Amino acid sequence: MLELLLSKYNYWLYVILMMIGLYAMLAKRNLVKKLIGMNIFQTAVILFYVSIGVKTGDVTVPILPYGHHHGHEQAINVAHYLNPLPHVLMLTAIVVSIATAGVALAVLILIYRRYRTLEEDEILKINQEAGT
Amino acid sequence: MKTFILALIIIAGSMLIYGTQDMPNWGDPQSPASVHVSPYYIKRSIIDTETPNIVSSVLADYRGYDTMGETTVIFTAAIVCFLLLRRRDEDEGDR
Amino acid sequence: MTHQFPALIIVVPLLAALATPLVGWKNGRLCYYWAVFTMALVCFFAIGLLRSVILNGPISYHQGGWAPPWGIEYYVDYLNAFMLPIIAVISLIVIIYSKHSINRELGGRQMPTYTLILLMITGLMGIVVTGDLFNVFVFLEIASLSCYGLIASGQDGAPLATFRYIIMGTIGASCYLLGVGYLYIVTGSLNLADVSQLIPPLYHSRVVLSAGVLMLVGISLKMALFPLHTWLPNAYAYAPSSVSALIAPLFTKVAAYLMIRVMFTLFRPDFFTTIIPATTILSWLAVTAMMIGSFYAIAQDSLKKMLCYSVVAQIGYIALGIALANKAGLIGALLHILNEAFTKGCVFLVVGAIIYQTGDCTIDHFKNLFRRMPYTMGAFTIGVFSMIGIPPTCGFFSKLSLLMGCIVDHHWVFVAVLLISTILNVIYFFRVIKVASFEEPEADYGRKAPYDQVRMEEVPLSMRIPIMLMAAGILLTGIFSSTIAKTILIHIVPAGF
Repeated sequence: MLELLLSKYNYWLYVILMMIGLYAMLAKRNLVKKLIGMNIFQTAVILFYVSIGVKTGDVTVPILPYGHHHGHEQAINVAHYLNPLPHVLMLTAIVVSIATAGVALAVLILIYRRYRTLEEDEILKINQEAGT
Repeated sequence: MKTFILALIIIAGSMLIYGTQDMPNWGDPQSPASVHVSPYYIKRSIIDTETPNIVSSVLADYRGYDTMGETTVIFTAAIVCFLLLRRRDEDEGDR
Repeated sequence: MTHQFPALIIVVPLLAALATPLVGWKNGRLCYYWAVFTMALVCFFAIGLLRSVILNGPISYHQGGWAPPWGIEYYVDYLNAFMLPIIAVISLIVIIYSKHSINRELGGRQMPTYTLILLMITGLMGIVVTGDLFNVFVFLEIASLSCYGLIASGQDGAPLATFRYIIMGTIGASCYLLGVGYLYIVTGSLNLADVSQLIPPLYHSRVVLSAGVLMLVGISLKMALFPLHTWLPNAYAYAPSSVSALIAPLFTKVAAYLMIRVMFTLFRPDFFTTIIPATTILSWLAVTAMMIGSFYAIAQDSLKKMLCYSVVAQIGYIALGIALANKAGLIGALLHILNEAFTKGCVFLVVGAIIYQTGDCTIDHFKNLFRRMPYTMGAFTIGVFSMIGIPPTCGFFSKLSLLMGCIVDHHWVFVAVLLISTILNVIYFFRVIKVASFEEPEADYGRKAPYDQVRMEEVPLSMRIPIMLMAAGILLTGIFSSTIAKTILIHIVPAGF
C-alpha cells in the first residue's frame, strides 16, 4: 500500500486538485469564484501532463549541452533528459487556459455592466423581476 | 444541491483515482511515454533542427502546427475582447 | 494540385481571418465581401478534397514534412471528406445571408464579428481534418473561444448564458484533454492512427477504460447530449440570429463527428460495446434527449427557443445512430448529420428573417406570415417536413435508416421512441404553421387588412436566396441520399459491422 502511495501519489494529487476546481465551478454562486475554479481545474490537467514527462535517476532538463554536433547520435543518452513532449503540449494548454480566462473575464465585465453584480442568485432575481 | 454536487465529485474523483492504478510509476524512465515517440526528439533535435533546447525544437518545428494554433487562440481571445468591450462604452455612454 | 488541399483548407480561412482587421479597418462593410470570397475558396477546397478522396482514396498530409508519430499528420478519409463540404457549404450560405442581419444586430462591429466567424470555421475545419489527438484540442479551443465571443455579443441575457457555456465547454475540453493524456501515458503517442494500433492489447487496462470514458464525457458536453445539454438552449437563443444560424447546424455536428471518430477509429467498435457498456448508456441517454428536447420544445413561446430545444432532440437522433453501432444505425447518424446541417441552417435562417422583418419571434405573433413572407415561410415548411421526416426530404431517409438500425438489433423501445418523437415534432411545428397560415388576424391586431389583401413584405434578396438555397439543399440531399450513402457513407462504416 505504501509502495503504491509512493509511486502514484502525484496522480492522486492532481485528482484532488481537479475535484477542488470542479466543486468551485459547480457549487459556488459567485461567478468570479466559478472562474477561479475553472482555472484550478485546467491547472490540474496541466499538472498531470507535466508529471508524465518526469524521469527519475540522473536526469536533467531537456536542453542539450554544447559540443554535440552532427553525427553524434549515439552520444546522447535518452534517459538523461526529461521527456520534452508533455512540456511542449502544456505550453500550448497554458496559453489556451489563459485565453479562455481572458474571454471569461470579458464576459464577466459585460454581465457586471448589465446587472451591477456578479452573484448568480441576485442576477437570477433581477431576471425574474424583469420577466414578471 | 451542495450534497448532490459533493457526491458527484466524490464519485468522479474515485473513478479518476481508480484509473490511475494501472498507470506506470511516477518518473519511471521505461514508461511508454518516455520510450515511444520522445526519444526521437532527444536524439534528433541537433541533427534535424540545430537547436540544443529540445522543447523549443519540438514546439517550433516538429509540432509547430500546434504552436500556430496556440497563437491563433491568443488572437481569437484578443478579437473577442475587442468585440465585446470596445463599442459598448460608446453605445451606452450613460453608464 | 489536390495534395496541398488539406493544409490550404485550414490556412486559407486562418490567414483570411488574420487579414480581416486590415480589410475592415476603414470600412467594416468590406468584411462581408471578404468573408464571402474566402468561404467560396474554402468550398472549392472542400469539394476538391471530397472528389479526390472518392477517386484516389484517403489522403495523408504531413505538416512541415515531419513523419506521422513525431510530427502532426492530417488524414482525410471518407468521414472527414464527408464532413468538410457540409461545414464549408453551410457556412458559405449563412455568410452570404448575414449581410443585412449583422448590419442591423451588430452594426459598427462587423470587423471583429467576421474575424471570429472565419476563426470559428477554421477551428471546425481543423477539428475535422486533423489526425492528431492534441491538435484536435487546439482547434476545438479556437472554435469554442470564437463561438463564446459571437454568442456573448447577442442581446440581453447573452453574457450570462455565455458564461455558463464557457464553464461547461471548458470542463468538456479539459476532460477530452485528460483522456488524451491518459492515452499518451500508456502509449507514448498522440497520432490517432498510431494510438489506435497501440491500444488494443491494453483494452483492459484501467487507464484506457478511464480514457475512453473521459473522452466520451468531454465530447458529449460539447455535443450537448442530455443531461449535459443545459447550456445550449439559452446560449443559442440569445446569440445574434446569423450567429445562431451558423453555430446551431455546425458546432454540435462537428462534436458528433468527433464522437464517431473516437468510437470507431480511435478505439475498435467492440471496446465501447462489450468492454465498457458505453453504447447502452449512450443510446438510453439519446432517447431521453429526444423525448425531453421535444417536450421542452412544445412548451416554448418563442420560435428560436423552440428550435434550440429541437437541436437537443435532434442530437439525440445522431447519438442514437452512433450508439446502435451497426451499419444502418451509423449510416442513419451520418445522414442525419447532413440533414440536420441543412435543416437547422434553413430554419434558423428563417427565424433570422422573421426577426429582421417583424422584430420578434413569438409564435403567437406569426399571424398572416405566409401571406407576408411566402418564400421564407415556404422554405420553413420544407425545413419542417425534413425535421418531421416526410419524403423526399433528407430527414425521411435518415430516420428510416435509424429505424432500420433499431429493428435489426431488436431495440423495440427505441423504435417506439423514434415514432413518438416524430409525432411530437409534428405537434410543435404544426403549431407554428397553423398560426402563420390559417389563423385569421384579430381585428385589433393593428393591421386591419382582410386576409387576402395583406401586402407581401419579404426580406431583401441577399437573405431570401440563401434561405431558398438551404431549402433546395434539403430536397437535393434527400433525393440523392441513396447515392451519397452508396458512394461515401458505406466506406465510413468500420469493418465487422
